[in-house]
Amino acid sequence: MRLGRFSGALPLVLMTLLIVAVGAFATVRQDAFLTSFNLNNLLLLTMPLALVSLGQTCALLVGGFDVSVAALMTFCVVVASYTMSFETSGWALLPGGLVLIAVGLATGIFNAVIVRVLKLPSIIATLGTFSILEGASLLLRDHPEGPISSDVINGLTKSVSFVPIAFVAVVVLAVLADVWLYRTRTGLAMRAVGLDETSSRRLGMATGRMVILAFVLCSLMASLAGFYLAAQVQIGSPLIGNYGLESIAAAVLGGAALSGGKGSFVGTLLAALFLSLFDNVLPLFHQPTEYSEITIGVLILLALVLYQSPELLARLRTSRGGVGRLPAEQGEAPAG
Amino acid sequence: MSNPGPASPVVLSLRGVSKAFGAVQALREVSVDCRAGEIHALVGENGSGKSTLLGIASGFLTPDEGTVVVGETERRRVSPAESRALGLGIAYQTYSHVLHLTVAENLYLAAPSDLRPTYGRMTGWAAERLGEFDLDISPTAPAGTLSLAERQLLEVVKALLAEPKVLLLDEPTTALGPEDVDRLHALVHERSRAGVGIVYVSHRLPEVLGIADRISVLRDGVGQGTFEAASMSEESLVALMIGRPLQLAFPQRHEREAGREVLLAVSGLRGDRFGPIDLEVASGEIVGIAGAEGNGQVQFLRALAGAERATGTATCDGKELDSSSPLGPLRAGVVLLSGDRASESLFPVLSVRANATIQVLRRLGRLGFLNRRRERRTVDGLVKRLSIRTASIEQPVQTLSGGNQQKVSLTRPFQRGDVRVILAEEPTQGVDVASRFDIYGALREKAKEGVATIVKSSDPLELAGLCDRVVVMSRGQIVDEIPGDELGERRIVEAIVGSRASAREQAAESPEESA
Repeated sequence: MRLGRFSGALPLVLMTLLIVAVGAFATVRQDAFLTSFNLNNLLLLTMPLALVSLGQTCALLVGGFDVSVAALMTFCVVVASYTMSFETSGWALLPGGLVLIAVGLATGIFNAVIVRVLKLPSIIATLGTFSILEGASLLLRDHPEGPISSDVINGLTKSVSFVPIAFVAVVVLAVLADVWLYRTRTGLAMRAVGLDETSSRRLGMATGRMVILAFVLCSLMASLAGFYLAAQVQIGSPLIGNYGLESIAAAVLGGAALSGGKGSFVGTLLAALFLSLFDNVLPLFHQPTEYSEITIGVLILLALVLYQSPELLARLRTSRGGVGRLPAEQGEAPAG
Repeated sequence: MSNPGPASPVVLSLRGVSKAFGAVQALREVSVDCRAGEIHALVGENGSGKSTLLGIASGFLTPDEGTVVVGETERRRVSPAESRALGLGIAYQTYSHVLHLTVAENLYLAAPSDLRPTYGRMTGWAAERLGEFDLDISPTAPAGTLSLAERQLLEVVKALLAEPKVLLLDEPTTALGPEDVDRLHALVHERSRAGVGIVYVSHRLPEVLGIADRISVLRDGVGQGTFEAASMSEESLVALMIGRPLQLAFPQRHEREAGREVLLAVSGLRGDRFGPIDLEVASGEIVGIAGAEGNGQVQFLRALAGAERATGTATCDGKELDSSSPLGPLRAGVVLLSGDRASESLFPVLSVRANATIQVLRRLGRLGFLNRRRERRTVDGLVKRLSIRTASIEQPVQTLSGGNQQKVSLTRPFQRGDVRVILAEEPTQGVDVASRFDIYGALREKAKEGVATIVKSSDPLELAGLCDRVVVMSRGQIVDEIPGDELGERRIVEAIVGSRASAREQAAESPEESA
């Protein structure tokens, strides 16, 4: 097994099963579901969440959070309405696109510095970044205006049959990232830093550099997600979506631990797909979205309980018997 | 024993190294040299700065002053990775394992790039390395599932992976049985014959005298000199390690009324890192717990207070303690004074008043509302009684000195008439000298009222002055007991460093033998 241990593969299996189950259910109940139009639509809708969640997985791997990603995505959309407006087309769009990437890089470096150099807890620090970017978006556009170049939209959403090319690229990216994480020394080092920073430093790893890299990657992926958000809203809208928490939810459903050091990019991608699928399926049944929210909440809790069940069981057992960690330690009872 | 002369080159040199953590000066201008092929022991009491010195040598800590020379390279700051590249290997006292990763992954991360196999061959490669050291550990086992002894040996293997020219071993035998100790020593000798300079830190003097060529002594962060091991004895080392002329005014021990009943009785208590332990403490008695750090003393105290899990029984005044949570012991009148004041016993941002009364608020109020005047009167009285130096009782405790913070946490047992047992963990750590004696006085005062007290301390002088009796813990068990008439700093240190303790360990098969 690629992930080595069963517990690592559990999220992948569970997410795949859920996607198949919900998909099958929708296919049976609704003819409109399994149409290439709807599937194409679904995959495109998944793109922003998938990209930002992959980035979030990096931050979670080193034991951090980045809640600023949603505001960064929106800021990118607003910036795109200036740098990639409907008047520009073709190669003239390239500098405008680079501006978005630069915004992502700058935000990532800013986050990394406040987390790593100023040693602020990442969840609070990135909340500060969130507010700054939110304010900046409103400064640029206080209401939705400024259509985005149709060349950008068409380019980003280009599909072969019903599969967007970009989605294929994201799948390849996630697989490569997992190969890196579980098949190379630097990937192992990244996980080690998230699991135990003191030991990692003693082992000679550049722990600071790893954490900085993770936060920069996270913001960079959020700015890429911003491109796809721009292609979706198609106008410079300062409204911020719920991508911060959803990206954390996707990473965790995909197997990431909030305490760091565990996670899977493929798992995250599957979870992002599942969350989008759920949103996509509900309207087909003419059910209010409130149910979707409640169901997703319950599913997240159930999945977390399932992932942690071995540890939960162990904890329950010890608290009953009051034995603690004794069995594992007895073997080393001192001689003499 | 290989004994390289002064002619062999110096492979590691620490020059005028100083390091402070906050207000505590851990090291003051310490200089130590280690030659190629030499086994250089570093001894000193708990907290004398041994581990800090090794941390600086390995690059894990940055010195405030002074330089580190590894081989030919002189540096003020090195990273652990750089010092490894310069040929330095270190086995940390608290290890460098990532417990969630496997043994093979841990070894892989510890290996320098030129000795690393490809990622896919990691498991086989790790098995070979473990085989070289005759270690029977599965490379695919998570490091967290290893026993403490296996973790300790794995740490040494990691330090040796890069075939270092300087090897630092920080207390490498605390978790090892006699056989493993011998194996490790054979390995150390073999490496020193191969020309590796070895710095060996241990608190066990017989072990040190048996293996070292030269010995450097640290006391309170100050170097006491380097000596030829052959010219030293345990007595002369102990004298160098303690050697404080400080005349200290400990509170008078009170005459214990004969036949005072046993208040706290522990039998067969065992838990993480300690046990089985049997101990009885009488009403009015202060029992000290001595031992080198990390031999289960803290875990034992915390288990008694319900802050850690354990099996076995503990009774207070004949009633069994429910130690499944801190609540049971608290209700029975067992109070733990945690060594980690800031995070475990005090609310740093709250006032002296709030911290003092937080456990007894119900008694100070009526119908759910606090009677502020009564609260203030109580706290004012305690501040005077314990001589807490604070501008006002409304001052946040985080602005007080360590000693006065500790006195604030001591106010709690003084307000509850029902306290039966006080468990004090390092009651004077980070506490100034003047406040120390206020704290000793307060503990003795409670003892006179009939409270049974256990004091865990790494300061033998404190134990000798304060306690009625001291037990010594090693590897989680009580290995020695020093009655009141034998108490003295030297006697305690000797017990800790092993001369008598190890004699007893060998005789441990006959438990009826008394100390």
